[in-house]
Amino acid sequence: MKAVGARLPRYDANEHVSAGTRYVDDVRIPGTLWAKALRSPHDHAEIVSIDTSAAEAMEGVHAVVTYKDVHKNIHGHIEGLGVPGDEPLLAETHVRYKGQPVAAVAADNEELAVRATEAIKVTYKELPSLLDVRKAFDGDAPQVHHWGNWYPHFEGEMDRRQIRKGDIDKAFEDADVIVQGVYRPAAIEHIPMETQVCQVVPEAGGRFVVYSATQAMYFSMGVVAAHLNWPLNKLKFVGGTTGGGFGGKVDTATETITTLLAIKSHRPVRWRWTRMEEFLCSSTRAPWHMEIADAVTKDGWILGRKMLTLHDAGAFARFSPYGVTKHAFHHTGAYTIPNLEFNGFVVYTNRIPTTAMRGFGVTSVSFATETHIERIAQTLGMDPIELRMKNATRLGDTSPNGIPYVDPSTVPVIQAISNAAGFELPAHYRTMTSAMRSGEDLPAHLVAQMGNPEDH
Amino acid sequence: MSLNITVNGTSRTVNAEPLTPLLHVLREELDVLSPKAGCQNGGCGTCTVLVDGEPRRSCLIPISAVEGAEIRTVEGLAPPGQLSTLQEAWIHHYAAQCGFCTSGFLMAATAYLENGGSDDHAEIATALGGHVCRCTGYVKILDAISAAARGDSFDLTTTAAGLRTTIKGVDQ
Repeated sequence: MKAVGARLPRYDANEHVSAGTRYVDDVRIPGTLWAKALRSPHDHAEIVSIDTSAAEAMEGVHAVVTYKDVHKNIHGHIEGLGVPGDEPLLAETHVRYKGQPVAAVAADNEELAVRATEAIKVTYKELPSLLDVRKAFDGDAPQVHHWGNWYPHFEGEMDRRQIRKGDIDKAFEDADVIVQGVYRPAAIEHIPMETQVCQVVPEAGGRFVVYSATQAMYFSMGVVAAHLNWPLNKLKFVGGTTGGGFGGKVDTATETITTLLAIKSHRPVRWRWTRMEEFLCSSTRAPWHMEIADAVTKDGWILGRKMLTLHDAGAFARFSPYGVTKHAFHHTGAYTIPNLEFNGFVVYTNRIPTTAMRGFGVTSVSFATETHIERIAQTLGMDPIELRMKNATRLGDTSPNGIPYVDPSTVPVIQAISNAAGFELPAHYRTMTSAMRSGEDLPAHLVAQMGNPEDH
Repeated sequence: MSLNITVNGTSRTVNAEPLTPLLHVLREELDVLSPKAGCQNGGCGTCTVLVDGEPRRSCLIPISAVEGAEIRTVEGLAPPGQLSTLQEAWIHHYAAQCGFCTSGFLMAATAYLENGGSDDHAEIATALGGHVCRCTGYVKILDAISAAARGDSFDLTTTAAGLRTTIKGVDQ
């Protein structure tokens, strides 16, 4: 335990300040070609034809790839977790967001690579696009996918992540007040200082070395191998040095296409996105639409919660079903609400696919639930910290999916925050602990939800 | 065209089109890799180098505009194996996280200190206003430059980061 409690400098600080850190874009391999992608100019369109012949004929262009070059073009980022693949590496019949890669080239230099992508002729038939999750369920809404506008595979066959706990109807009958709110955190681009970047080098024996800026190296390795239908031992990933990610380098953005170009050209290939590509084409944190209605008593007990979540996945599922699952688990926040009706949908739109960013699925729901607590306090004319302490999660309380908490920390955390902020809690809350509920902390409506923490 | 520039005290001859950005020449022709391509639009500061002592965004400067100039980058801040006071301050104050913006910050801060800049956070923030750190470690960066301006000495086996943010009643 040399590190715990010690004030250690960063292990890589010396190299960071003395030009010793080698980022992916600093890898120098002689003979490296530049990659560029031709991207969809439309939010939603059918691809009528792709003609790469003019680009292929250009001197200094060493590879042009389309969907035809990919062994398993349609793949999903978490197929291994049961989320069926829905995203083509290179667009095949349709483009479903502006910026989606349609073809890619490898050329002697960056400028030539740009000109080669411009020489590729793609004919599109534009289709109406869906850009607002709230319109996804309308009968006349544009269809993003042939199976519909929302993800249908939760638990194999459910079209939503749902939670039903307790008796929600009784909670709303017993309530003195119903407090409603709508919360809509927007999409956020991560904007790492280092844009998406990858360098691939062919090695002896048909093996390829992939220098990657990914935040999820072995995961990316699996994605590349799946698209290529290769065993993992044909890929050697070199990573660990990332010039900022914040969740935006979890998706496998560059590695597969760059490897494909290296295979076809038999040359090392580097692909570095421009800042504009990073803004317009890289994944963002999802925008969410959340509606909450809480059944509340005059003295500040939250009896029940109905919540609807629409998670904007963008054009493809990627990790969104996982994000909504986390969101469902956390939709009561740090508080115990015994009666629940939660419906969470992964909604497809013709926007850039969305992904993790600093607390995937949890930050958005925390924003909504904490803002909603303030709204309840204002409605009741009650102190918001007292309201939080009253409904704080305690030992033996159960999570939305019925698991007894074994180490809840809402009570000591709020006490520490109050202390730091100079806010004096009433005596009852100053001495409260996370111990199992009893006495006035255990009203009748909280009895049925309790579980035995020993069972966990 | 063929022209000469001096990079960290060494004269270099470059063959490049006149409008080629200095950043491209440094990174792709001369293998001087500390200036980074962050936005290539003059917006982020991570490509900053010193041109005759002044901080400049190398992504926006055509090579023909710096003929005969003295270019300085992080590679020239100290002899190999040694560190400048500012570099030591950066380590001790935890001013680098992912490190990608660090080179540009270091060069702008070096010019600030060489021009007699003070340890005042507001003055430093004004001088380095165009630099972006997306790990958002700005306070630690200000601490580091401030400490270097004062000429503090640093114990590089430990870090000062976080010591000033003790919250009343919360054990750090």
